[in-house]
Amino acid sequence: MGTPAELEIVTRFGTFTVDTDDIVMFAHGLPGFEQCRRFVLVSAPSLDPFTCLHGIDAPEPSFLTLDPRRALPSYHTPLGDGDRHRLGLTGTETLLWLAVVHIDGEAACVNLKAPIVINPERMVGVQVMVADTAYAADHLLDGS
Amino acid sequence: MLVFTRRRDEAIVIGDGIEVRVLRTGKDAVRLGVTAPYDVPVHRREVYDAVCAANQSAAAAPAPSIVYLAGRLRLHPPLEPVD
Repeated sequence: MGTPAELEIVTRFGTFTVDTDDIVMFAHGLPGFEQCRRFVLVSAPSLDPFTCLHGIDAPEPSFLTLDPRRALPSYHTPLGDGDRHRLGLTGTETLLWLAVVHIDGEAACVNLKAPIVINPERMVGVQVMVADTAYAADHLLDGS
Repeated sequence: MLVFTRRRDEAIVIGDGIEVRVLRTGKDAVRLGVTAPYDVPVHRREVYDAVCAANQSAAAAPAPSIVYLAGRLRLHPPLEPVD
């Protein structure tokens, strides 16, 4: 293992310093940003309780993200076999679930339909896409 | 675009290990079975496109006020520890 190096990332939510050890690989990128494979998940007091998922490959997409259970405590989306395989799950991992926050006019929404899931033990992630889900892509942040 | 005529129970093979088989045909729809390795994600086009549009819109939006957003979340109870 090499020595982790520091990486300064500039996002529209601020400038942060992260470790290269904190890079999460998305083998297929994220839909709409397929060419960006490496992301870092930034936690900072200035973002709390949100996090910033920031792509470090061009075009360096940046997302404000939130544990979907903060928006909907009962939230649960099952993982299919393909996603479990792509996350390298063995069954004991505690996964990080992220819902993408987006602002639509006055409304602040989270995408509960296509959550991003990260396996921190392998530092790999996927965005889950299911056709038949009751969750909305534009769930109001305070709309419970 | 390659175009094939396939009947029920016939298939096409794509690359190494991907098969698309016609399971059932109807007036306006066909039912397809896709066999692919786990590292090849398979999605319905419209579902994938909707996630693309949502991601691109979320990434392009100006930075919202974190304090304002966090205030909206206070309406919810604190999060229980992860099971």
